[in-house]
Amino acid sequence: MNCAEEIPTTTTAECTIVLVGNPNVGKSVLFSKLTGKYVTVSNYPGTTVEIASGKTTIGGEHFAVLDTPGVNELAARTGDAGVTCDVLRDYPDAVVVQVADAKNLRRALLLTLQLAEFRRPQVLVLNMMDELDGCGGHIDAARLSELIGVPVVPTIATAGTGIEQVRESLDEARVPSIRMEAGHETRSYAETAAYLRRANEILSQVYTRVRPSKPTFAQKLGWWATDPVKGSVILLAVLYFTFWFVGLVGAGTAVGFLENVVFGRYINPWAIRAADVILPFPHTHEYVRSDYKFEIPLTPAGGILLHQSSRDILAPTYSLDSSATLGWWTQVRRLAHDFLVGQYGVITTALSYALAIVLPIVTTFFLVFSILEDSGYLPRLAIMVNRAFRWMGLNGKAVLPMVLGLGCDTMATMTTRILETRKERVITTLLLALSVPCSAQLGVLLAMMASVSFGAAVFWLLLNVVIMIAVGWLAGRLIGGPSSDFILELPPMRRPQLSNVFVKTFARLEWYLKEVIPLFLLGTAILFVLDKLNVLTRIARLGEPLVTGWLGLPKETATAFLVGFLRRDFGAVYLLDAATGPHATLTPHQVLVAMVTITLFMPCIATLFMISRELGKKTALWITVFIFPFAFFMGGLVNQIGRLCGW
Amino acid sequence: MAGRMKTKPPQYLHCSLCGFEFEKRDTVCAHGCPLGRFCKLVRCPNCQYEFPERPELLGLVHRMFHRPKPRPSPPGSLPLSELNEGESSELVCLNCAQRSRSDVLAVYGLVPGSLVILQQKRPAFVVRVGETELALESDIAREILVKRLVAQ
Repeated sequence: MNCAEEIPTTTTAECTIVLVGNPNVGKSVLFSKLTGKYVTVSNYPGTTVEIASGKTTIGGEHFAVLDTPGVNELAARTGDAGVTCDVLRDYPDAVVVQVADAKNLRRALLLTLQLAEFRRPQVLVLNMMDELDGCGGHIDAARLSELIGVPVVPTIATAGTGIEQVRESLDEARVPSIRMEAGHETRSYAETAAYLRRANEILSQVYTRVRPSKPTFAQKLGWWATDPVKGSVILLAVLYFTFWFVGLVGAGTAVGFLENVVFGRYINPWAIRAADVILPFPHTHEYVRSDYKFEIPLTPAGGILLHQSSRDILAPTYSLDSSATLGWWTQVRRLAHDFLVGQYGVITTALSYALAIVLPIVTTFFLVFSILEDSGYLPRLAIMVNRAFRWMGLNGKAVLPMVLGLGCDTMATMTTRILETRKERVITTLLLALSVPCSAQLGVLLAMMASVSFGAAVFWLLLNVVIMIAVGWLAGRLIGGPSSDFILELPPMRRPQLSNVFVKTFARLEWYLKEVIPLFLLGTAILFVLDKLNVLTRIARLGEPLVTGWLGLPKETATAFLVGFLRRDFGAVYLLDAATGPHATLTPHQVLVAMVTITLFMPCIATLFMISRELGKKTALWITVFIFPFAFFMGGLVNQIGRLCGW
Repeated sequence: MAGRMKTKPPQYLHCSLCGFEFEKRDTVCAHGCPLGRFCKLVRCPNCQYEFPERPELLGLVHRMFHRPKPRPSPPGSLPLSELNEGESSELVCLNCAQRSRSDVLAVYGLVPGSLVILQQKRPAFVVRVGETELALESDIAREILVKRLVAQ
C-alpha cells in the first residue's frame, strides 16, 4: 500500500506499522528482525507496559515500526490492551501487522476479528510455522487470506524465514473483508463467544491436523514440571541451580574478586591517592590486610581452591597528623576528600557497593532468569507454589519477585509492578522487606550459622517461614482491595536460545543500573551527612538500652544494626566478627538472636526508597513503622524465651 | 513514545438494588450536587439507585469472616473440578461470581460448546482448550460447568 496516495494531507510523514498480537507469539523477534533493534520484553503477564519503536526501509519508503504489548483481546479492561487500543487510535493511518502463533490460530482469529473493527489495512503473519509442522498441523494460508481478505504470510521469525515476504506484503495490506457487528468499548462474554464461533467456522475451512502427534520431549517436560511429585523434584533442582549460580558463583566468587581485588586493591587505593593529590590536607591513611581466595564453589561451606593471595592495601580510614591545625579551606578540602573517598565516600562506598557487590549478583541472576523465562518454566513454577502463596493472600504469580528478593530486595521491590492489584503489591513488598533476606544478608547469615548448632539454624529457618506466612495471612485479611484471579496461560517449553538470553540479560542490566545506582548514591550521601553530623552515634546511643536489655546483645551491636540498615555489609561484617572472628564475643544464643533480628530488619535504605517510589510515601512509612519494632520484638522474644529455657 | 504507563486496577461494586456489577469510576453523579467529592454515595449506572459504599470497618470484618456461598448449577452439568484427570468435556456455561472473570476466561476460548480437557488437578488445575494450556485455581474450576464426554 502506498501511504502517500491514501492520505494526501500527510505526504511528508512516514508510514507507521503497528505490530499487534497475543502474548508470546514472537512479536518482538519480528520487530528486531524488521528494525535491527532489540527490545526487552518480558513475557510474564502484566509487566510494565512499554512501547518500543524503531525504523525500517521497505522499497525506498521509510516506515516507523511500533511494537505493542501482547494482548489477548482489544478490550480496555487490562492495561496492556488499553495501551494497544490507544496506539491504534493515535495512528489512524498505520498498517496493522498482526502476529499470530500458527499453532493457536483460533485465538489469533479472535483478535483478527476485533482488529477488523478498526477498519485499517492489515496483514496477518503466521509465525512459528516450524512448531506447527512439529505438532502435525497444516494451515491453508491462501484460503485463509481469501476468507478474511488480508494477506497472510507464514514465517519462522527466529530463523529469519519469511521476513522478506512480510516486507513485500505491506504493499498489499488491505482492510479485512470479514466483519462482525459493531463492537463495543468493553467486550462482553457473549460477544467473545460469538467471535469465537466465527473463528471456529474459519478454522474448519483452513486448518487440518495430518496425524495425531506424539508428545515431544519438551511437551513431556512441560507436563512433568507441573506434576505434584516430578514437578517438586524439578523445582528443587531449579532452585538449587539458581542458588548455586547466583548465591555462590555470583555473590561469592564474582563479588569476592571484584570487591577484594578490583576495587579493594586497585580502584579504591588509586582513587584515594588521586584524591590526596588533588585535595591535600595533613593526614596518613591506614593500611589493612586483604586476604583473597579464588575458588570454584560447590557448597556454601567450601569449594575447590585455585588461588590464594594476601597483601596490605591502602584503606579509606586515616589519622590526622597531630601537630597540624586545619584552617577552614583545609577543612573544606577534607570534607570533599571524605565525600569522595572517605569511609562513606561516593567512590569507596557507593560505587564499589553498586558495581562490585550488587552488579555481579544481579548479572548472574538475570542470566538464570532469562534462561528460565525463555524456556517457559516460570508460569509452571507459579503453578507449583500457588497454593502456598494463597495462604499469604497472594497467588502464584508473586513467586517471581519473591525469588528475585533472594538476589536483591531493592530490585525485587521494583518488579512487584508485574502484580495486578495494589493489594498484592503491598503484601509482596512487605514480605520482601520483612523476611526475604537479600544475597548480602544471606551471605552473612550463612556464615553466622556456622557458629550455632544445626538445631538453631533449623529453628531460624522455620521461624522465618512461619513469620512470613503469618504476616502474609494477616496482611491479606487486613489490606483491602481485590486479589487477582489465578488464570495463567502455559506457553510451550522450548530450548532457550543463547543469543536471545544474552541480549535479554544485557538489556535488563542496563535498565537496572539506570534505576538502582542513583538510589545507592543517594543512600551513601545520607550516610555521609549523618556521619559528619554525628547523628549516627547519637541514635546508636539511644538504641543501646533496647539492644542490651531486650535483645541481650553487647552495646556495640546497636551501631552495627544502624549502619547495617544504611549499608548492609558494614553492619553485617561487624556482627560476623563478633560472632565468628578470632575474638568472638557473642555466645551461640546471642548469635541466634542477632540472626533473627537482622533477617527481619529492612534490608537497606535503597529498598526503603524503592518502596516509597513504588507504593507511595504513606505505605512506605507504614511498612517501616511495622518492620523495625517487629524485628526487635521477635529478636527479643527469642532472647527471653531462650533464657527461660536455659539455652 | 516509550513512556511507561501505569493503569489503576478497576474497583468493582455491586448495586444493592439490581445486583448490577460496575466499575467505581462509572458512578459520578450527573447533576451539580454541592457536596461534590465529599458525597459518599455511589450511583448504579443501570438503575440509577444511589447507595452508600460499604464502610471501611465493616469491609474489614467482612473480609475476615466471609466465606463465599456456592451458586446452584443448571441440571445435567457438573463443575469442572468434579472431572477426573484426563477426561474430556464440553463446556456448558460459566457460573462466575464476577462477570469480569468470565470475560477473561472467554478470551482463552472457554465459551459454551468448546471442548475442555482436564489435564491435571494438583497442585493447580490445568485444562486444555483447543491449543491453549491454561492453569486455573480450584475456585475458578468450580465455576466452570461442563458436560462429560464419553471417551471414544
